[in-house]
Amino acid sequence: MLRRLVRSEGVWLFSRSPAAILAALVTVAIVAGALFAPWIAPTDPYDLSSFSLIDGLLPPIWEDGSDARFLLGTDDQGRDMLSSILYGARLSLGIAAIAMAVALVLGLGLGLAAGYFGGRLDAIVMRIADVQLALPAILTALLIDGISRGILPRELHDDLRLAVITLAIALSLWVNFARTARASVFVERNKDYVSAAIMMGQHPVRIMLRHILPNIVGPLLVIATVDLASAILLEATLSFLGVGLPADSPSLGTLIRIGMQYLLSGEWWILWIPTVFLVVLVVAINLLGDFLRDLFNPSLR
Amino acid sequence: MFRTKLPTAALAVSATMLCALPAKAETFRWAGTTDPQTMDPHAVNATPELSFLNNVYEGLVRRGPDMGVQPSLATSWEALPDGAGWRFSLRENVTFHDGAAFNADDVVFSYERAISEPSDVKSWFANVAEVVKVDDNTVDFLTSAPDPLFPGSIANFMILDAEWAAANDAEVPARDAENHATRNTNGTGPFVLTSRDPGIRTDLSPNETWWDTAEHKLSEAIFTPIGNPATGLAALLSGEIDFISPIPLQDVEQVESREGFKVLTGLETRVIMLGFGHDHDVLRYSDETTDENPFLDVRVRQAVAQAIDVDTINRVIMRGAAEPASQLLPEGLSGFSDEHAMRPEFDPEAAQALLAEAGYPDGFSFGLMCPNDRYINDEAVCRAVASMLARIGVEANVNAMPVRGYWDELRADNFDMYLLGWSPGTFDAEHPIRFLTHTPTERLGTWNFGGYSSPRIDEMLAPIQQELDPEARQAMLEEVAGILQNDVAYVPLYTEPLIWAMQENIDVVQRPDNFFMLRWVDVN
Amino acid sequence: MAGFILKRLVQSIFVMLAVAFLAFSLFRFVGDPISQMTGIETTAADQERLREELGLNDPFFKQFARFTGDILHGDFGYSFRTREPIGDMLLTRLPATLELGTVALLISLIVGIPAGIYTALNPRGVMSQSILIGTLIGVSIPTFVIGILLIFLFGVQLGWLPTYGRGGTVEIGWWRSSLFTIEGWRSLVLPALTLGLFQLTLTMRLVRAQMMEVMRTDHIRFAIARGVPWRSIRYRHALSNTMIPVITIIGLQFGGVIAFSIVTESVFQWPGMGLLFLESIRFVDIPVMSVYLVVIAFFFVLVNLLVDLLYFAIDPRLRVREST
Repeated sequence: MLRRLVRSEGVWLFSRSPAAILAALVTVAIVAGALFAPWIAPTDPYDLSSFSLIDGLLPPIWEDGSDARFLLGTDDQGRDMLSSILYGARLSLGIAAIAMAVALVLGLGLGLAAGYFGGRLDAIVMRIADVQLALPAILTALLIDGISRGILPRELHDDLRLAVITLAIALSLWVNFARTARASVFVERNKDYVSAAIMMGQHPVRIMLRHILPNIVGPLLVIATVDLASAILLEATLSFLGVGLPADSPSLGTLIRIGMQYLLSGEWWILWIPTVFLVVLVVAINLLGDFLRDLFNPSLR
Repeated sequence: MFRTKLPTAALAVSATMLCALPAKAETFRWAGTTDPQTMDPHAVNATPELSFLNNVYEGLVRRGPDMGVQPSLATSWEALPDGAGWRFSLRENVTFHDGAAFNADDVVFSYERAISEPSDVKSWFANVAEVVKVDDNTVDFLTSAPDPLFPGSIANFMILDAEWAAANDAEVPARDAENHATRNTNGTGPFVLTSRDPGIRTDLSPNETWWDTAEHKLSEAIFTPIGNPATGLAALLSGEIDFISPIPLQDVEQVESREGFKVLTGLETRVIMLGFGHDHDVLRYSDETTDENPFLDVRVRQAVAQAIDVDTINRVIMRGAAEPASQLLPEGLSGFSDEHAMRPEFDPEAAQALLAEAGYPDGFSFGLMCPNDRYINDEAVCRAVASMLARIGVEANVNAMPVRGYWDELRADNFDMYLLGWSPGTFDAEHPIRFLTHTPTERLGTWNFGGYSSPRIDEMLAPIQQELDPEARQAMLEEVAGILQNDVAYVPLYTEPLIWAMQENIDVVQRPDNFFMLRWVDVN
Repeated sequence: MAGFILKRLVQSIFVMLAVAFLAFSLFRFVGDPISQMTGIETTAADQERLREELGLNDPFFKQFARFTGDILHGDFGYSFRTREPIGDMLLTRLPATLELGTVALLISLIVGIPAGIYTALNPRGVMSQSILIGTLIGVSIPTFVIGILLIFLFGVQLGWLPTYGRGGTVEIGWWRSSLFTIEGWRSLVLPALTLGLFQLTLTMRLVRAQMMEVMRTDHIRFAIARGVPWRSIRYRHALSNTMIPVITIIGLQFGGVIAFSIVTESVFQWPGMGLLFLESIRFVDIPVMSVYLVVIAFFFVLVNLLVDLLYFAIDPRLRVREST
């Protein structure tokens, strides 16, 4: 399959589209930066003894009063902005990717099953989807956080803040995958090759995985990229609403929430550096998603 | 074309009247982050409600701009012999907003209402045995024990009209469903409630028959809650509101530098402090030290106090608006100890030495509990504290959470150290001693989450409460302050600032209890 | 058909019950309502008494049963914080959110559909490219940042529009509307724009994608071959085929609008359901939270039902076309 991909028209198209190339480059750069943050970032913003309040509120290097140690300035605690956004991107991308993966598996599984078996299973899954949609992501995050706080031992709870946010975001995203998978199953199910497989007595799971799934990879990939962007933004919003990650290990979203306090105060960089970074990242991912959508839509070529 | 000729006399009269008309109507729009939950003065004992209702209702006494106790519905009061209580002489010819006359019956009724089960202001009358109407204009409050500060302590006790309450089924504060007093008022105060839309907007207009002289020039006052600080700031800058409290510290400079706006910065009576788990045998949130509690050693607590650079916290996080604190109450309040007005000096080396002496040369880790939406920049302060402690090897795991779950966690002992802000309701040193330092019992030490216990302080509390001689009282308070400092029961950090922002043509009086009195608002 | 509707309605009731059940069982973990209803001097005994009176010490099932029983009787209970009847609160807040959501949706349609058509028909144009990039950037910025930026630009810097609140409202029966005053409309612009931006982009891209796809189908090619005027093809054939899936998606998006309105209402202090919900979390106002969730569940269920009905109605036609 990989061989097919490399030689496909897709790659050719990609090389022809400057927007797609740029988007991919940016995404790779940011992802690499995030991944290798512990090695390339000047400081570790999560290490409480590595920064000092006295270095707080310093502007970026091109402004007066800046400090060469902090290229993009510091926040109110004295943390280096550059390191913060690299580590923040790491967290945001990590959360988004895992959330999306969970949502994908969950949604795909439920959607395929619902579409294939129909009937009562379908009804149950769709109603669960309704329940899921009815619970806003913020509430899901809040409630999962609450449960974990109430049920688990205190020490574990803090470590699980990450898991809580990830789970909350995943739960708000899986429905899209499920719906798409289900709809695609409806379309594919009636096709000849599936009927043939059924007649041959193949196991339903095998049919789903082997025959139906490859045909819906396209739309799923598109949703995945859109949802990746959504997940990152959702995490930022959850932080804004107060159920995000704690400020000592901030994601991009939390950095923006903290930065919002400095909108008017003159320390513009605390807000705008993470925001621009986030926007660039999300735009790049969206552009990639666009490209993928065009790629997988044969009728557009 | 017929024109009615106005009689000349009428014309003259109307001309005179036009000249005599007061200055043009001033609508005052103001905003805050929290809408008062109720218009019932006995339902909730908290600042948003009491501050707002102090414009509509009044009590026997009130506080002036300098927090001094002034006559209000009582013209004078005197202590009864042998500390039996206090006698209040009531003001005559005062009417409620609905025209009913004010007299002693209303006082007695309001007292009974204030101590009824659903009331939240019962604690003010904990020491009152009985309230007796002597005559239509005199009321006695009989106390179980001598209470020299009693009159000042009921400055927020507000008086309703007994008949109105009875006629509207509002004889006690509402419990689960609202009653007439939740959204309607009938007080004697300078303003009348004209409209109440909970959570959205509340309208007041001046009381034309108020007994005192109005210093304000307002014709209407409209309060709207604005939860988002940035939105509130925008509303002020666009001119849609005249006054907002508070604004974020980091925006003060910007607002002040703009034409047409000004910021009033002062100090609140709230001291922000760190508390320890004095009754915890072991640390609960340590990564490695799980079999003991280093904070039980006074040297460790002392090290914490000396490792924190409050001046830098004040400069960077509080933008210089706060005031370092040495005790559990701010300077200037009654009972403040001048002898002990110095904070422990910031000295990380000395702190480290103390730690080593106590047996923790390599430090240890612990859990620091902190609210993130209760006090100004509370989370930032906690993180700064954590950062400073990390420098002496003491690693804090900061757990910042919304205040709605915070008190529960503290009550459940889920902390090793915690941040707390305390504002003494009586503006006197006895208040924090009673709530924060007395050994926890049913009624005392109820906010002493760490369980700090000093038998000496415990035995001094009642004498302090009952001592009539100010000098003797102060001496006792000095001793208590000394004990608290030597024991490092708490680490007081700073006094919280008050930041009020408004249009330039507005003059207000900022009281350290953060109460906003409309009657002192001047619009130029 | 009627049987289908009935079955769905019954399922809907289960959905609402499930939502209420889930939410209810987790409410005790969002904080302590008592500390929000009392001051610092309230004794533990008094707090406990209040807790007892409000039924907070009752076992979970008892509380839940009481709640559902009350709702079925139309009794939505009373807010812990303001003691208001929650039914009244809903009547006050619901119109605000519905009006905001509808206007946002309308903006997204009125701007999004033509924009989608335009960019589909002129894929290489500079205008198209800038619209696409512009909207892409727009949805990549978190909603609350956009909201605050708009407030400061149009409210403070330019002073053209109000910065918060709903402006002048008019009561028609119980419906409190801000659509009948100029102030109301002025207050509506920025929040609706903020809320609608995401929907606008989505609609635009959907329309564009659908249209581009449809343009290339055999159906259109044959029409071109037949010599049908290009203009006629564009607007009659392509458009009508495009709208079908778009309409169904829009129905689903209405749900997203309700969800996103929480943030928008918070930024603009818009007195709707979203702000009510946020505040109820802040003050641990459990009755309000419960009712909010049930009402929202009801909405989603309703919208999904309508969408499914729409699909049901449209589906046979699609199937017929496909086989041609």
